[in-house]
Amino acid sequence: MSQDAKIRLDHVQKKYLGSKAPAVDSLTLEVPEGEILVLVGPSGCGKSTTLRLINRMIEPTGGRIFLDEEDVTTVDPDHLRRRIGYVIQQIGLFPHQTIAQNIATVPKMLKWDKARIAERVDELLSVVGLDPEVYRGRYPSELSGGQAQRVGVARALGADPEIMLMDEPFGAIDPITRDRLQNEFLRVQETLRKTIVFVTHDIDEAIKMGDRIAILGEQSHIRQIDTPERILAFPVDDFVRDFIGSGSTLKGLHFEIVDDNVELDPYPTMTVDSTAAEGLALARAAHADWVLLLDASHRPLRWVPVDELEAGGPVTAESGTEVLAKVSLGATLFQALEQMLVSSAAVACVVREDGSYHGVVRLTYLNRVIRQARREAREHYERLEAMA
Amino acid sequence: MSQLTPAQARLGDHGTTTDGREPEGSLPPDLEAPHEPGWLTRARRKHLGLKTAPLGILGLAGLVFWYYQSLNLAESKVQIASPLAWGTKLWPQTVEHLTIAFWSTVLVVVVAIPLGIALTRPPLRRFGPTIVAVANSGQALPAYGLLILFLSMLGQGLRTVVVALVLYALLPVLRNTMVGLDAVERSVIEAGRGMGMTRWQVLTRIELPLAVPVILAGVRVAMILNIGMATLAYLIGGGGLGVTIAVGLKLQQDAVLVIGASIVAIVALTFDWLGALAETYLRPKGV
Amino acid sequence: MWSVLDSTRDDHVDGIISWFDYIASRPDDILEATWAHAKITLTVIVVATVFSVLLGVFVQRRPALRAFALSVSGIFLTIPSLALFALFIPIVGTGNEPAMYALFLYAILPILRNTVTGLDSVPPAVVESAKGMGMGTLRQLARIRLPLAWPIIMAGIRISTLITVGIAAIAVLVGGDGLGTYIQSGLTRLGLPNSLESVWTGTAFTVLLGLVLDAALAGFQRVTTSKGLRM
Repeated sequence: MSQDAKIRLDHVQKKYLGSKAPAVDSLTLEVPEGEILVLVGPSGCGKSTTLRLINRMIEPTGGRIFLDEEDVTTVDPDHLRRRIGYVIQQIGLFPHQTIAQNIATVPKMLKWDKARIAERVDELLSVVGLDPEVYRGRYPSELSGGQAQRVGVARALGADPEIMLMDEPFGAIDPITRDRLQNEFLRVQETLRKTIVFVTHDIDEAIKMGDRIAILGEQSHIRQIDTPERILAFPVDDFVRDFIGSGSTLKGLHFEIVDDNVELDPYPTMTVDSTAAEGLALARAAHADWVLLLDASHRPLRWVPVDELEAGGPVTAESGTEVLAKVSLGATLFQALEQMLVSSAAVACVVREDGSYHGVVRLTYLNRVIRQARREAREHYERLEAMA
Repeated sequence: MSQLTPAQARLGDHGTTTDGREPEGSLPPDLEAPHEPGWLTRARRKHLGLKTAPLGILGLAGLVFWYYQSLNLAESKVQIASPLAWGTKLWPQTVEHLTIAFWSTVLVVVVAIPLGIALTRPPLRRFGPTIVAVANSGQALPAYGLLILFLSMLGQGLRTVVVALVLYALLPVLRNTMVGLDAVERSVIEAGRGMGMTRWQVLTRIELPLAVPVILAGVRVAMILNIGMATLAYLIGGGGLGVTIAVGLKLQQDAVLVIGASIVAIVALTFDWLGALAETYLRPKGV
Repeated sequence: MWSVLDSTRDDHVDGIISWFDYIASRPDDILEATWAHAKITLTVIVVATVFSVLLGVFVQRRPALRAFALSVSGIFLTIPSLALFALFIPIVGTGNEPAMYALFLYAILPILRNTVTGLDSVPPAVVESAKGMGMGTLRQLARIRLPLAWPIIMAGIRISTLITVGIAAIAVLVGGDGLGTYIQSGLTRLGLPNSLESVWTGTAFTVLLGLVLDAALAGFQRVTTSKGLRM
């Protein structure tokens, strides 16, 4: 047991009266400070129940719950909940209270003074990207779904809790708004560093939001808990493999950023003012079939095949074929793959911010990355097994 | 409350008010409103009542007043002049009438709302549907019979009338309190509990304010029932404007009958309008 | 009510026994009064249903008319029953008639309101697809909109029936018949033998009639509602 867990569940169990099998069966789990842990699993696996056990919206029938190593299994649940932010899919804004009053709910119960509450409300509205001047006095019925969910998050952050529980918070929102809210939330989280337990049934959302993902089976049994990268690279069993779905290996490329850690192959390049003969010499030296033609400011322009260079003549902006597969430094390998597929090339040009040539990524490299990720993940699990 | 909210459907209730206005749909604020055709939105917005009602009531009162004057009581026969004397008959009867209606309505509120709250709390919750079902069939209870039965038990007088009326008008307020509390979105309560509100805080700060429109509608129904029932108070010596109607019936004087009945109608319509005003202005903002 | 509790247990038993005796001694009379009461109610409800459903269909999508119709029928329900009964006497004389006119006015609102809300509740997509398949306005109404709104309309009819049964007991005050006669005769002889039994009979059989009619309508609703709408 590590001592720095922010949230620790120790053999927590929930058994409902009159049902034979427990809804949550002996769950042990740790969430370190500042982490987003995503609980994900098929519907009915008990992930929501698990979440609600943490703030004791549902009382556990066994085991213990620790926050900051303090046993909170039997403390007053109302006081406990005021320390924990809670966001649910239906949001549950109080329709008869203004946005400001909604956000002030917990600070008011904690008896903050008025000025501090007002300041906090405005601050939180700004954090979630709503103009306090405009929204403070509005009622929930005047908000769109996305705005309401922002207010829901702001309200949960009301008294600056260190822990947030989020139950499918973006589930009822259209895909475009959801994507935006997810990004904004991750941006906010970068500065706030809350400890978050996040429930979803959507594996893609889990991959996007989670520092770690716990894939839950029936009765909240943890089937695999790890970083998204490792889960994608090495699903431990068929259940997890089925759940994360096909194409999971490719999804792993989302986590690889094109930067200097990426193996960028040099490629023979020539500029528009060089001659065909010079280009041919470069290609021969590099055993390449193509030469990359750059413009005056070193931006990739055309792929020129060796046979065209052999034919001699001037190399112009019309020679060869256009460079279509281009990604910027900082993009993901997945984007590079996408570029290669749409331009049916096995190579993508990597360009710097000003558009100038930096290097190339090859399909074979992506292949290697995937295989390496799988190998590392497998070795990681083998080590774990050996230790156990 | 004519719309079948899920809560009402659950409680087996289909709602009644004496209210011709449109039900206010309480769309969950968190989800997009389901697409609603334009004519329905327009129909919801139309509230003929609040502004035109006072004009109608005043017009009716003017008509009755004109008719009353045209009777020329000073020179008409005693069968008409005596029961229609304003200072000694009609005005005291109106006061009596309103006194009965007022006290029974106050008592109904005092009894029915706490009872309704108790019946929606976990320990008693399971009795809710049964009580609402009984309350619904209770509408067939004849006020007339109820009054006489209470007369035989409690004797003549105002107290008997008020007790009978309270029992009779209890049901709408009780039912609406339960339905109103039950109709509060589960997610709103869940959010309140999740933020660490106590059950009492959730009840007083969230559930009750949100149920206010429905409860008020019930109180308004109870008030109108009470004003109507007070018309029968004369049967057991409770006075009220029913006396004039009864005299008109007994003496077969249409003028007395019409004036007595019209004043009762004007009183009822006036208070119904006041009830509608209260419903509009006491409703929490944002709902 | 509480004074009953003060009396001894034997008093209750005696009271109940004497009430049963009272009923047993005149079943035909009571049945006749009950039938008269039912006749008033059923006539009123049938007429009010036809009138209100047609009116509801007509005003549902006409906001101004709809608000007007609902407001006016709401006003009727606001006017105390004895007053409304009395107002019809100068026009139609005493007897069952003034009561039935007044009861008709009372019965309109619940049915009318439930008709329009019932029609409102029909999903626009369903009507749209019916239209798209070439159904005419009347056919949409008869095949789609009214059947879908029917459970809600029936709920309104049942409310109106209960209200009508209860209020019809007052008809006796304006010279009508029905179970109110038992209440009145009990009142006029209050203190004399059998007076309370008479009031109990009038009251209890009125409630009973209400329950029987409601149950019958519930059965009718079951039979006439599409299985797909039953849960």
